[in-house]
Amino acid sequence: MSNLVILPILLPLLTGIFLVFFNSKLPLVRMITKVMVIINLIAVSAIAYEVVQNGTMVLKAGDWTVPYGIVLVADPLAMVLVVTANIVATACAFYAFHSLDEQRERFYFYPLFQLLIAGVSGAFLTGDLFNLFVFFEVLLIASYGLIVLGGTKEQFRESFKYIIINLFSSILFVTTVSFLYAVVGTVNMAQLAERVGEVEQGGILTTIAILLLVVFATKGALFPLYFWLPKSYTVPPTVISALFGALLTKVGVYSILRVFSLIFVYDLTFTHQLFIILAAFTLIFGVVGALSTNNIQLIVAYNIIPAVGYMILGIGVFSATALAGSVYYLVHDMIIKAALFLLVGAMAAYSGTSDLRKMGGLIKHQPVLGWLFFIAALALAGLPPFSGFVGKLLILRGAFEEGHYTVAVIGLLTSLLILISIIKIFIKGFWGEDKLEKVPNISIRNKIMPAAFLLFFTVLLGIGAEFFYPTVQSIGDQIIDPINYIDSVMKE
Amino acid sequence: MLHAAVLLPFLAAFFIPFIYRGVKQVHLGWFVLAVPILLFGYFLTFINGVLKGVHTLKTFEWIPSLGVNVTFFIDGLGLFFALLITGIGSLVVLYSIYYLSKAEKLGHFYVYLLLFMGAMLGVVLSDNLFVLYTFWELTSISSFLLIGYWYQREKSTSGALKSMVITVFGGLAMLGGFLLMSDITGTTSIRGIIENADLIVNSPLFTFILILVLLGAFTKSAQFPFHTWLPDAMEAPTPVSAFLHSATMVKAGIYLVARLSLVFAGTDLFFLIVSGFGLLTLCWGSYMAVRKTDLKAILAYSTISQLGMIMAMLGFGTKAAILAAVFHILNHATFKGSLFMVAGIIDHETGTRDIRRLGGLFTFMPITATLALIGTFSMAGFPLPILNGFLSKEMFFKSSLHFEHASPIVEAVSPFFPYFAVGGSIFTFIYSVMIFFRTFTGKQRDTLEKQPHEAPIGMLISPMILVALVVIIAIIPDTFGHLLLAPMVDSVTNLVVDPHIKFWHGLYNPELYMSLAVLIFGTLLYMTRTKWVRIYDVLPGKMSAAKVFDALMNGMVKGSEKVTNIYMTGSLRHYLVYILTFFIALLAITMSVTGGFTLSFDDLAPIALPEVMIAVVMAVAAFGTIFMNNRIAAILVLGIVGYGLSLLFVFFRAPDLALTQLIVETVTVALFLLCFYHLPDLDKEKSSSGTKVVNWVISISVGVIVTLIGIASHSTKMFEPISDYFIKNSYKLGGGDNIVNVILVDFRGLDTMLEILVLGLAAIGIFTMIKLRPGKKGGNE
Amino acid sequence: MEIIMSVLAGLLFTAGVYMMLQKQILKIVIGTALLSHGAHLFIITMGKLNRGKPPILAEDVTNYADPLPQALILTSIVISFGVTSFLLVLAYRAYQTNGTDNMEKLRGNDHE
Repeated sequence: MSNLVILPILLPLLTGIFLVFFNSKLPLVRMITKVMVIINLIAVSAIAYEVVQNGTMVLKAGDWTVPYGIVLVADPLAMVLVVTANIVATACAFYAFHSLDEQRERFYFYPLFQLLIAGVSGAFLTGDLFNLFVFFEVLLIASYGLIVLGGTKEQFRESFKYIIINLFSSILFVTTVSFLYAVVGTVNMAQLAERVGEVEQGGILTTIAILLLVVFATKGALFPLYFWLPKSYTVPPTVISALFGALLTKVGVYSILRVFSLIFVYDLTFTHQLFIILAAFTLIFGVVGALSTNNIQLIVAYNIIPAVGYMILGIGVFSATALAGSVYYLVHDMIIKAALFLLVGAMAAYSGTSDLRKMGGLIKHQPVLGWLFFIAALALAGLPPFSGFVGKLLILRGAFEEGHYTVAVIGLLTSLLILISIIKIFIKGFWGEDKLEKVPNISIRNKIMPAAFLLFFTVLLGIGAEFFYPTVQSIGDQIIDPINYIDSVMKE
Repeated sequence: MLHAAVLLPFLAAFFIPFIYRGVKQVHLGWFVLAVPILLFGYFLTFINGVLKGVHTLKTFEWIPSLGVNVTFFIDGLGLFFALLITGIGSLVVLYSIYYLSKAEKLGHFYVYLLLFMGAMLGVVLSDNLFVLYTFWELTSISSFLLIGYWYQREKSTSGALKSMVITVFGGLAMLGGFLLMSDITGTTSIRGIIENADLIVNSPLFTFILILVLLGAFTKSAQFPFHTWLPDAMEAPTPVSAFLHSATMVKAGIYLVARLSLVFAGTDLFFLIVSGFGLLTLCWGSYMAVRKTDLKAILAYSTISQLGMIMAMLGFGTKAAILAAVFHILNHATFKGSLFMVAGIIDHETGTRDIRRLGGLFTFMPITATLALIGTFSMAGFPLPILNGFLSKEMFFKSSLHFEHASPIVEAVSPFFPYFAVGGSIFTFIYSVMIFFRTFTGKQRDTLEKQPHEAPIGMLISPMILVALVVIIAIIPDTFGHLLLAPMVDSVTNLVVDPHIKFWHGLYNPELYMSLAVLIFGTLLYMTRTKWVRIYDVLPGKMSAAKVFDALMNGMVKGSEKVTNIYMTGSLRHYLVYILTFFIALLAITMSVTGGFTLSFDDLAPIALPEVMIAVVMAVAAFGTIFMNNRIAAILVLGIVGYGLSLLFVFFRAPDLALTQLIVETVTVALFLLCFYHLPDLDKEKSSSGTKVVNWVISISVGVIVTLIGIASHSTKMFEPISDYFIKNSYKLGGGDNIVNVILVDFRGLDTMLEILVLGLAAIGIFTMIKLRPGKKGGNE
Repeated sequence: MEIIMSVLAGLLFTAGVYMMLQKQILKIVIGTALLSHGAHLFIITMGKLNRGKPPILAEDVTNYADPLPQALILTSIVISFGVTSFLLVLAYRAYQTNGTDNMEKLRGNDHE
């Protein structure tokens, strides 16, 4: 049974490798991708259901005794995120068929895409810190391949910055793992948790924890480490931006959540207070960035940052409510960011520009796109009854309950500013005078459908919150009291 | 059933687009009209129950585990608003059928309108704080869409944005207040919170909560200085202005204050803020209205002023004040609704709403003029027994004179209130009179686009009904008082009130003299208005809340552009400098705060000369790269570092590593050479000395910090590493002598598999980079 | 010895970071290579240096060097090799397409 845990990694991995060899037959590649993303989505949903119902599943790779081998731990948190990642992947795959030029498709988009998903799923599932590093590298190098795919000037320019900064954080990561190994003598996360707990996390361990924070915060785009993000996320084709925006930073946030709830929880007054301060700055500077530009893709890319701020705020508050809120927000944000990237991509494709000053009156030509965007904008700002509201409500409720009033007020204000930054696209792009010189003779229906698919989940997570919330709350309870995680790994 | 009633507008909104597409002959409004009429009838059936004190409560579980349930609750207050929304709603829809031609995008219009109606019903019937908030924001959103209905117009969209920004801002503040209230009382039910009001009042956060909640109410009800969105909202079609922006949505803030009066009222702070801002808004709104020339703008400021008056009475908090407040909500809806419709008719039939261009319309449109006459004079509070506005204005005067709870602050402040009340009312009198006389009497001042004529009967029905209500309410106020007002006062104050409303209170009443003062000064000032109009150059002069708002928004955009441009330079070096500086600062702080640094000389390997020599060579070579200007030399020096490392691996008992490092280094150097062959030679570093210093400081600090952490880590080995297991079991379980190899292929086989995958991915990436060249033009998509 | 090695690793970090802060793409790439070396040196130092025999099982030997960091380094070396080669080709292509190897000229306009 527990062997199933490898599937979310293995399926895309094998598919990806397989696709490399059949790359010349594009229709076949598309067909296989189509079938496999759906099979994968079904498979991970089934596993997630099983995990939520019957508890965490642990796979010891190669069946080696814990902690000597590598373990994959499918706990509810990891599985929920894996499912969400696959929902995003499915939408993006279908968007890719109708948006990428054939050249890019031919040059291994689909294998890179599949392996990126494998890396992301692996990062969520692994219970081994060094293995997490390796999965990070898998997803990063897949992302390097994707970000340069197409070889335009801008892509080379921005991807170099992106890669150098990520490379630095990767090197720091592996160094930090070795420091941790020197002190605690293991790299298995559950055992790390046990051992760090035994010595109650002395000064050096807190220092190492902060090193890890820097590593993950760079990937997760926290203040003040996000500089590489906005521009580099807007240069590749839309579908790649959507994948990056939805998945990559969230892996960083997930890692912070995991490490600072499982292992380093014995100096909360320092570490988690720091999170709250960083969260406040991340919220403010992120949204200020989003307000500063007229490029629709850049507006969406900047909006990744304040969302990270909310999640980190939930981790910093560190109560069951707030953590559940962070998890809810994580799921929400993966979906809504992908949806928004796809929507603005469709807008740009239709109007031939990303510059808001050159757009106007699109709603007359593309009403469905317009209204989907409107819903997405409200969801992004966390207005009810969409998914963002539930997560934000929980995080802010947690913050108020624990007495963090200032940052909670900043959180409230930020969501107003997010709304202003994103509704600007609606007002200037869809409303206003028609600025299209001639109506382009292209159909963007196939681009709208994947976004609609994602927005369906946004609405479902908002209006149907009752279906999901109890699960998320129990995840929140488990995060704050990780004994369940440790036991299910160590007692096998 | 109650849920179905609130759901009905939403359902209808869902089906409207289909009907719109299917049925072209009939005006869409006729289908929509059924919804508010049905609902109005439905809510009428509750009156009897409410009079007997039966409060209907229906719960539908939405997110029960979060305490968010759609609980609808009907008491006097909720029922009154429900009737107001559906009643005025019916009239507005009827009016809109004649106002909007079939050429307009009726589908959109009615969808928004129905969404609003449903949301507004949700606001006034919800017992759950968060459901109330949800509907509250939905009213903001539907209002946004309605104001932006003519979306090609710049003014419409900017008005829409402004209203959304201000009302959503208030909504979010309110949400913060709600979160705190539910945290303190442990319930999300409004009734539950009212029961636990003392917890909130005695909480140290009381001031904070009150301000947050009132921000919500004040922004929505356009209280000074948040009123600035309302005049801009007049870009919406006139039926919308009549419905949302005078009769219903702007009263949501009033509703909220009334609803939570049982929690907040009785505290000095509530009294001061609500009465103070109410009176201020009353005066400012009516003062500004006199200045305006657009009929709808006058009415907008008039609405602001009247909302301020109602708010002030809620702040007074006495039984008489509450009764006057709820009475005025009803009266205001009737006369202001009819006046908006009249303004719409004038616009529709003459093509302008500018009173400088209008005049003498009485002869062309006598019915409209009559309606306007009654409406404006009721608004002015003209002492006639057929004008409901007079009755509530008198009650307002009266309530501004008597205060029950006597705290020092109340006693100190309240004597000033009557002056504000009279002052505001004088200006109300002026603009009311001005609307009527300048539009309908005198001579026509300008040639109009259209030859004015009486409106079609369909358009007149709705304002006629409202004007009829003005008169009926004035004649039989007790009936309304008994049926609607008393239960409302009960909900707001928990007190039973005798809703006896009289026209004539006798000669010895101060409120009579206040009314007379208004009449006399109002008339005088109206006659002499050209003489004193220059006062507006002094106050407000160039100041206005709209300008403040624009400056804020502009400043925000400009400021964020500036801030962002300062640090988002696109320079990789800058980004690295920021990141590394943060890294250095954060780690330095952490180490010093937590005492993370320890140094122990125990358990160290002995120092051996060969290793040290290699180390020195490596260090020299590493720094050598910095100063090399020849690319080949730089690469070779880099190679020395790599080969040195593999030698060290030999000394440190890691033969596999040494071998691998050797091979990898060789290939890497070859690759470097291959690549560098195509790249320009290295420059001598040409940076300014400042840049150099920064670079050195940063890189040395980074080196120092990682070294310190490395030494400290090594000095505090707290546990035995797990590797003994590998040594013991390598052969037994892994079948290999080379432990490192066994770990790689067996114990940690997954890592190895993935590492090969990384190589493969890198290969694919390299291949695409070399082979895939963008076509003629390298655009996206 | 461990302290000396830590210092050496720290020096490699210093040199690497300094190179990363340069303008020329080449120098930056060299910087990342130096950083990788530093990281690997740290890993081996964090095991115990010079203790026992190489971790290859032999008769009569009970004292071996810690094999786990070595395994980790091996994985890491291979990964850095992959990334470095990718980076090199990227450097070459970036220079070719953009016509400069000076990163300061490749700022781009963040608000275009």
